[in-house]
Amino acid sequence: MRRAWKIYRLLAAQNLKRLMEYKVDFLTGAVSFLIDQAVGIAFIFIIFTQIPQLSGFTFEQIVFIYGFSQIPKGIDHLLTDNLWCVGYFIVRQGGFDKYMTRPINPLFHVIAETFQVDAIGELVVGIALICYSAGSAGLYVTPLSVILTIVAVPFAALIYTSIKIATSAIAFWIKSSGFIIQMVYGMNEFAKYPTTIYSVPVRVFVTFMIPFALTGYYPVVYLLTGENPLLNTGIVVSVSIVFFILSLLIWNRGLSAYESAGA
Amino acid sequence: MIYAEHLRKEFKKVVKDPGLKGSFKSLFKPKKEIVVAADDVSFHVPKGEMLGFIGPNGAGKSTVIKMLTGILTPTSGQCRINGKNPQTDRKKYVREIGVVFGQRTQLWWDLPLRETYSVLKEIYEVDDDRFKKRMAFLNEVLDLEDFMSSPVRTLSLGQRMRADIAASMLHSPKVLFLDEPTIGLDVVVKDNIRKAIMKINKEEQTTVILTTHDISDIELLCDRIVMIDKGKNVYEGSLRQLKEKYGNIRELNFETAPGFSLTEDEFRSGLELGEDKMTVEKDKNIFKVRFDSTEMPVGEMLNYTLSHAKVKDISFKEADVEEIIRRLYKQGECENE
Amino acid sequence: MNRIGKRYVPFMKAGVQTLIAYRLNFFGFVIGGLIYCIVMFYLWKAVYDSAGGDSFLGFTMTEMVVYLFLANTTTQLTYSTVSGDIGDEIKDGSISMRMIKPVDMDWSYLFTELGAAFMKVVVLLIPVTVGLEIYRYCMLGEVMFRPLNFLLYFLSVILAYIISFRVNLCFGFVAFYVKNLWGFNILKNSIINFLSGSLIPLAFMPDVMRTILEYMPFASMGYTPVMIYMGKYSAYETAFRLGIQIVWAAVMFGISKLIWIGAVKKLSVQGG
Repeated sequence: MRRAWKIYRLLAAQNLKRLMEYKVDFLTGAVSFLIDQAVGIAFIFIIFTQIPQLSGFTFEQIVFIYGFSQIPKGIDHLLTDNLWCVGYFIVRQGGFDKYMTRPINPLFHVIAETFQVDAIGELVVGIALICYSAGSAGLYVTPLSVILTIVAVPFAALIYTSIKIATSAIAFWIKSSGFIIQMVYGMNEFAKYPTTIYSVPVRVFVTFMIPFALTGYYPVVYLLTGENPLLNTGIVVSVSIVFFILSLLIWNRGLSAYESAGA
Repeated sequence: MIYAEHLRKEFKKVVKDPGLKGSFKSLFKPKKEIVVAADDVSFHVPKGEMLGFIGPNGAGKSTVIKMLTGILTPTSGQCRINGKNPQTDRKKYVREIGVVFGQRTQLWWDLPLRETYSVLKEIYEVDDDRFKKRMAFLNEVLDLEDFMSSPVRTLSLGQRMRADIAASMLHSPKVLFLDEPTIGLDVVVKDNIRKAIMKINKEEQTTVILTTHDISDIELLCDRIVMIDKGKNVYEGSLRQLKEKYGNIRELNFETAPGFSLTEDEFRSGLELGEDKMTVEKDKNIFKVRFDSTEMPVGEMLNYTLSHAKVKDISFKEADVEEIIRRLYKQGECENE
Repeated sequence: MNRIGKRYVPFMKAGVQTLIAYRLNFFGFVIGGLIYCIVMFYLWKAVYDSAGGDSFLGFTMTEMVVYLFLANTTTQLTYSTVSGDIGDEIKDGSISMRMIKPVDMDWSYLFTELGAAFMKVVVLLIPVTVGLEIYRYCMLGEVMFRPLNFLLYFLSVILAYIISFRVNLCFGFVAFYVKNLWGFNILKNSIINFLSGSLIPLAFMPDVMRTILEYMPFASMGYTPVMIYMGKYSAYETAFRLGIQIVWAAVMFGISKLIWIGAVKKLSVQGG
């Protein structure tokens, strides 16, 4: 474990050194994701100029949910962005050979290699929105509700990671799975708004099939309403663990199907 | 040391008919076929040996190498190094090997070369003392000092190859796999790389498995060769044996005197040797004849030539390895057709 | 003309074949767009439920649904990958391979894309239009489809595409200066999506902002065709908006040509 941490730090440091060489790109990336988020907020703002509340939620509460949902997304984006590359081109071009000939876990190696600072755009917006709305969203603040919400964050991020691991691993069989990651990952749109606005089949889908609802709405329900503390956090934790285990199984089967490139 | 036993690898491949119509067809009904890239490949390499692994393009060399390095899982059969199996014990297995793919680099592209080694040091858990000694040794053999602080993307191809070999040797592997280590390099650099490989093999008894298209790599470095074609072993043995077995080919070179005319067919007509026993090439008035000396002794050939042509200059020589291998590849093609 | 056109046919064929070869990627983006529309549908439904009343800022729920799906489809139709293509080709140097061919650079890109655009009309525009008309019929009990509006919409989409192509052509050359093209692309797309009204109808924006945006090239790239299809514009206004599109198409054509001349100089200096 200590060795893993040491290697992770080392690889991440290499990445940062590289970024220092390309400062403009770091800025482009971070600003891009920041603007992308800002546009989403402008949208909510324009709606709320016309209506006082949406499905029983105030502007501040909607902003709180939106902001919270960006944090697990940003954490995953920061740490595991290289999985996109696995799906898009590393496997197809045979670049995965490198990871197979090193004495560390290939999944860990792939993930540790990239530290995607673009994600700072999402994290900054997420934290800013939470800070802005927390005061006036009428939150149900107790030590327990705050702790449970914080506990849910890493597990919510793990849901993103699991989904990316499983969908990128498909490339081991079909060479390039970028479009599948894109398609499934795109469903995180559902996480930005209260799950209660969706119809029941959609709700079931985004809770248990592609569980992005668990990364935005569920962890904050308790803070917003004071209801069902253990149930909501419990679902987040258990579903994310189940998905993580499943994704590892798929990944490991994928490794033995890896065909490299060329003859 | 290294055992490859009945290695077989199949790939599924989607076949597409040409043109727009073909694209549409494969859109709805992709046709799949199974390609056998390696079929029942077996061999054994003892410790400290340098083995040349050769074969024409697309013969399945890379596939076998990738199975041996744990990158591909064989469809059937297995390989072992020091009793370890790459599929069941990958992490321990890859500690024993170093891999260099000539067409690809494992160096960190945007960073100074030095950084790559400090990362690999941790990945392979080389302790500080050992690392220092190791870098000194590699530096001496591969002469890295001049570009140690340059970003990898600025290195020349020859420097990059030396750096890559050093990267694969950092953890003192028992086996070194080199996939086309001299590809695209000029003569002088090739020579340096070969000397370095020899030195590593000599001083550390590192077993080396080398694939290459450059026959002089093989002649200078390898004790033994394994040749595969169409995914199968076609030859395994020492270079000397290969020469003995196929070395009865002789090359006759002669130049006709000015004003004397002779065509290839005219030269051929007096002999009863088929295309596979004799080839004749003519360039202006210089002839190059390759023939099988068991079918036609050298003396007879000399007499025949002198009596049929007005010769200005004449010489015989033994066929070189390149010629032998060319014939072996050709045989493979013929058998297939 | 015929002989000149013939030289570009291979580019068009290549465009269709690339789209088919990467069909799964293409469907990925189509389904991604669909998911986005579904999320927005529920969001708008919640908005209309919360607002009470039939109309929200002059749009009924039915109109909003039509707007949502059609704006998304229009964005996909007029979406041009040329900025990314040029960027990649500048990066790996293959742009010089294109320069040595006896064709105009921008036309060769255009024809490559037209192949893909044709496929998008078949697999995207036609099903979406049919679906929306069935939806409108079910909601309103009468056939709302106006062939004239559809034709004008199509004309407007073509103009929108030309503008989008030219704007993207200009953006492509930032590859000389920016390495993180992926991030830049996200930046460009989110700005265009917002300013072109494909995210929120420009009609919802504050008056001053709306007026400015309506005259900018971005509205011409998405908002204008959709409003024409929905019959939101009078005959006079339709003609006026189409005129603005033509003006922008001409302006962007000029700008992209100028940038291109500069880029060729830069290329020959850098050596591709």
